[in-house]
Amino acid sequence: MKGIQRRDLLKLGVLGGGAALLGKEAAEALQAKAASVPGSYPLQEAENTLYSVCLQCNTGCPIKVKLYQGVAAKIDGNPITPWTMYPHLPYKTDLKGMAHVDGSLCPKGQSGIQSVYDPYRIRKVLKRAGPRGSGKWVEIPFEQAIQEIVEGGQTFASIGDNRNYPGLKDYWALRDPKVMKAMSKAVDAIWAEKDKTKKKALVEQFKLDFKDYLDTLIDPDHPDLGPKNNQVVFSWGRLKGGRTDFFKWFFDASFGTVNLHGHTTVCQGSLYFTGKAMSEQLDYDEKKGKFDWTGGKKFYWQGDLSGAEFAIFVGSNVYEGGYGPPLRVNRITQAVTEGKLRFVVIDPRAQKAVAHAARWIAPKPGTDAAIAMGMIRWILEQGRYDAKYLSAANKAAAVAAGEPTWSNAAWLVKLDDKGFPAKLLRASDLGLPPLNKAIKEGTAEFDAPIALVKGVPTRIDPQSEETPVVGDLFVDTTLAGLRVKSVLQLIREEAGKESLEGWAKIAGIQPEDIAWLAFEFTSHGKRAAIDIHRGVSQHTNGFYNVLAWYTLGALIGSHDWQGGLVQTSTYDALGEKAEGPFFFKELHPKKLSPFGISIIRHGIKYENTTLFEGYPAKRPWYYNASDVYQEVLPSAAQGYPYPVKILFHYMGSPAYALPAGHTQIQAMLDPDKIGLIVASDIVVGETYAYADYVFPDLSYLERWEFHGSHPNVIWKTQSLRQPTIPPIPETVKVFGEEIPLSMEAMLMALAEKMGMPGFGEQGFAGGMPFKRPEDFYLKMVANLAYGEAKDGSKAVPEADDAELELFAKARRHLPKSVFDPEAWKAAVGEAHWRRVVYVMNRGGRFEDFKKAFAEDGTVAHKYGKQVNLYLEKQAGAKDAMTGRHYYPIAAYFPAYLDATGQPIADAQQGYELNLITHRIITMTKSRTVSNYWLLNVQPENFIAVPTEDAKRLGLRDGQQVKVVSMSNPEGVWELGNGQKKPMIGKVKVVPGLRPGSVAFSLGYGHWGYGATDVMINGKVVPGDPRRATGIHANAAMRVDPVLKDVTLSDLTGGSAVFYDTKVRLEPVG
Amino acid sequence: MSENNSTQQQADGLDNRRDFLAKFASTVFAGMVMGGAAVKAEEAKRPLQLPTRLPGGPIQAELEYEDVLVQMQRELEAALQKGRTPKWVMVIDTRKCVGCHACTIACAVENKLPPGVVYRPVIEEQIGEYPNVSWRFTPRPCMQCDKPPCVPVCPVGATWKSEDGIVDIDYNACIGCRYCLTACPYQARTSDFGDHWTDGTPGQGKMPYEELPMFEYGKEWKREDHKSPVGNARKCHFCRHRLQHGLLPQCVTSCIGRATFFGDANDPNSLVSQLIHKPNATRLKEELGTEPRVYYLV
Repeated sequence: MKGIQRRDLLKLGVLGGGAALLGKEAAEALQAKAASVPGSYPLQEAENTLYSVCLQCNTGCPIKVKLYQGVAAKIDGNPITPWTMYPHLPYKTDLKGMAHVDGSLCPKGQSGIQSVYDPYRIRKVLKRAGPRGSGKWVEIPFEQAIQEIVEGGQTFASIGDNRNYPGLKDYWALRDPKVMKAMSKAVDAIWAEKDKTKKKALVEQFKLDFKDYLDTLIDPDHPDLGPKNNQVVFSWGRLKGGRTDFFKWFFDASFGTVNLHGHTTVCQGSLYFTGKAMSEQLDYDEKKGKFDWTGGKKFYWQGDLSGAEFAIFVGSNVYEGGYGPPLRVNRITQAVTEGKLRFVVIDPRAQKAVAHAARWIAPKPGTDAAIAMGMIRWILEQGRYDAKYLSAANKAAAVAAGEPTWSNAAWLVKLDDKGFPAKLLRASDLGLPPLNKAIKEGTAEFDAPIALVKGVPTRIDPQSEETPVVGDLFVDTTLAGLRVKSVLQLIREEAGKESLEGWAKIAGIQPEDIAWLAFEFTSHGKRAAIDIHRGVSQHTNGFYNVLAWYTLGALIGSHDWQGGLVQTSTYDALGEKAEGPFFFKELHPKKLSPFGISIIRHGIKYENTTLFEGYPAKRPWYYNASDVYQEVLPSAAQGYPYPVKILFHYMGSPAYALPAGHTQIQAMLDPDKIGLIVASDIVVGETYAYADYVFPDLSYLERWEFHGSHPNVIWKTQSLRQPTIPPIPETVKVFGEEIPLSMEAMLMALAEKMGMPGFGEQGFAGGMPFKRPEDFYLKMVANLAYGEAKDGSKAVPEADDAELELFAKARRHLPKSVFDPEAWKAAVGEAHWRRVVYVMNRGGRFEDFKKAFAEDGTVAHKYGKQVNLYLEKQAGAKDAMTGRHYYPIAAYFPAYLDATGQPIADAQQGYELNLITHRIITMTKSRTVSNYWLLNVQPENFIAVPTEDAKRLGLRDGQQVKVVSMSNPEGVWELGNGQKKPMIGKVKVVPGLRPGSVAFSLGYGHWGYGATDVMINGKVVPGDPRRATGIHANAAMRVDPVLKDVTLSDLTGGSAVFYDTKVRLEPVG
Repeated sequence: MSENNSTQQQADGLDNRRDFLAKFASTVFAGMVMGGAAVKAEEAKRPLQLPTRLPGGPIQAELEYEDVLVQMQRELEAALQKGRTPKWVMVIDTRKCVGCHACTIACAVENKLPPGVVYRPVIEEQIGEYPNVSWRFTPRPCMQCDKPPCVPVCPVGATWKSEDGIVDIDYNACIGCRYCLTACPYQARTSDFGDHWTDGTPGQGKMPYEELPMFEYGKEWKREDHKSPVGNARKCHFCRHRLQHGLLPQCVTSCIGRATFFGDANDPNSLVSQLIHKPNATRLKEELGTEPRVYYLV
């Protein structure tokens, strides 16, 4: 009954634009009595509100930007989205209702205005006027910058540098899509050939076959390096959908380089790449023409807090980071206060969430897997696992058990002569015939894996929906003379390598902690969430830490259940699902398919390439990972596997953000090593200080993007970043159109100058023009509006006349270079226009609250596939440094290893404190120091020292100390050109840190991003000392002792290592 | 047996809470005791208990509720329509505050607060000894006291207690003497010295957002040298200018932990009326007799 009343009120009240309901009489009565009368308050009017997406961090909370005379005056949460309200308002809420309700938003989101109106933002192209990193710049015309980058030559002669700088046109070497495709196929054949002599012969054949194109190759003797196009590298920090597609359109499809690398490994790479390994499916691979592991996706799971009764946050700073304070914290505080949820924090540091946690467990850094292995041991011993889930060996069995997913826990694995679980047992091993499986055209033979079903070897068709295989869980036997074990048996043995006490000792915690965790975790059915993040992944053992915790999740089969492990779900904006209305895959008129070994050597087996020359390789190869951020610059500088001529870098700061970031600076200093560096950002930060050209970009309130979502958002969504304020950079002319200077403008101008296909009058297939950024982005909006059904049945409603009017009115402050209603409409056509407006008026597309939950207690948007606990694909590949096979199941490996897998023994050299980092909610890593409102809350950071260690070392609060390590005994940032910044910070003695650890929060201690003076056009632009306060101690983090030019890395999952370095604190002054 | 246990636990809890409340109400601000008990890390020996819970299932039952922000906004609109003066009250649930400072910033942006002026700080402290460590978070807006010590000290009558409970300031009347700053036992008032966030940078205090007006007390205030509110005492006013339009204060709407509640104490059915009569509701420095209109749930 109450519910009905409430719903009625909802209709009448807030959603109806309640202020209007304030009747005349009531208002008069108020005027008479209240202290003051309702005054002017234009900020909450629908006509002064635009909807977009925050980018103060990557959570991407949908926002409303409240405008006053064209200036962003206030930012709050968009209330029709699950980020800022729980439950959120319905998608169909009218614009007045939306404007009238504010959703919640974190402090960074609240203060974004200061990122946008930052006095240090650049408006024109900056060109280096001294050596790289000298801090000397001149502003140059946009056209000049484009000309110089395309043509190259002695472009820095005016500062006495007579080098010939590379020109982009010379590296757009191979331009014929057909030839590129043919070469790519030939290279695949070279890689597939195992025999050395035959491989060589194939290379010779390649040179014959492509004799007219050999000058387009980096090295004809190593055709697998690919064409010279690959010597142009595009790397980036924060890049989201839409812009990703635009930039790929340029670099990948039009220019044809294979080198597009993101920053994932600086954030939580191994989390993603363990997810990728665990999500590979044994299925028909059309490219290979056989059944193989395929379709693994770069993703991860998070814990769902909408229904969890118990949650374990491991290395996951849930109140301050990890993609979701605004949308997760209120679920926790509400559920904990009501007694519905208990949660545990596993973190060496007492993060803020311990305020409400049932228990804080502070392990030794890098031992997360030991806790998981201990729990696995206890759970298997006590029989508290979900046997029904685990024994389901394929899809049909999962369906029969009412499970959305299944695992390979019951599959059988062959042990090799050393006892290594090398391969799955296959039908052929037992003399059983292959399965004949229907594929797209005809059938194909599938040498199926095997499980024992009540002792009988049975072929498994993993994807079968008809033939369930329910396997025996613990198998240790010999079949046809082969030693075989089931996957769960292997896991049991791995977990049995230590006693409960042994695992606890490794982690430095109590055995009872492990037993209690395991008991609680297995006491809530599916509603026990595991939430892991970068605290788990950013170690040298990151991949296996993640695998161990996700294996634990599979023991209760919590995937896809409310309160369990869930994945993200987003609406398609590329027209893939509906194959239109703008099917981007087919819109490029002359699409190249880049090939070759990438500069970070990823996704490929070292042994298969023509570069193989034994172990260790010159640098690591990343078979399991991509976007290995820390490897881009050092590899380019070393020229392995080939020299880089032009590096484009966008919205990133590897020098500041990466561990041992000073090595990234060293890589950039010399133009003879990396020929040309072109950067795009809103402010010149610590990294782009070393660029040759910096192009001003549009901030998040001025540009387009499709931000996407995160696993903890169980609703299907797609949020739209769109221009909300007039652009701050200058306006430029490209393809005859005036547009704001931006990354898009730079790429379009380069394309125009070089005459690249895919841009201009006939930029899209079928003759549609691509002359403005909106020609691209609005087609994506149209796809989003159209929905994922071919017949259009999933389209959003059309905007009515009133909405159309508000749409224009709310954008009345935007100049024509941004908002041109006729040009916008033309980009999508009349048929789609009203739906496009409907989506833009709401800042994207968001599913209604109830739709995320299925009746049976699962989430609506399911992973719905196999969860690998045994990784056959990894077992079959080798680490290029050690020559050892990747271990295929969850295991504990000690952390702090070098690139050849050897332990680093700095503690014995007197470096005994384990340095860790964290985020505070008021700061992101590299770009919120411009937010003075945030700095006002905490003006500087400090080095947290545990009470016990402070006493022992004689350190006191406020004392200045220098952070030194084995690879940085001087404790300074080496900035090149003789400049140094010492790593000195203030001690803060805290009880909430595991003894033996020291911690600092990221985001302070800048020397770029407006922190120090720079010279532009001969004039000094003074830096702001507020941005330089505090300490940034990443340069103390361990440089790899083998490679010597890069941080430590997780060789399996690719993560850069943040939490393993041993340091000493030296009092100064 | 289990019932006995739980009764005993409840009694223990109540005793603890009484002691706790007594302490809480009598301590001076800086030494307040609040927040949850310390959480133990690495401490063992908690007996394993079988949990009491109903079997899992669809969550349809809980889908019917709305975000408490919407509920409160609905109540706010209803209060405005009643035709009589509401009695505003704020309730801060310290068990839900996560120390994120969103309220502090939201308030500063909404009211265009310059450096040195803060209406709603959140005091955060880590408490306990390793491994028994926790946090205490205390948001501290103006208490809008029913007996406000800041009002009688004003020599020009520029600040007063309104019928709806809010202590107002008339910026045009304020002479900036700062008596009220000293009189406030909660340090809720600060002085506007006319500074700008980008002073000393290339922005020269003139970035677009620094030149925007603010709308306090329902008026449009342009920030110009030596004109009010520059030179005045400033403090939280529950976003009076938003209340008038049926909008919640920005510290309430921005709260990601949903720890701040706002509403009409004259309406016995309002959420805040229910909360302030709970046994865990208390006020800061109760012993001073200032009768704050801000309650804390502990």
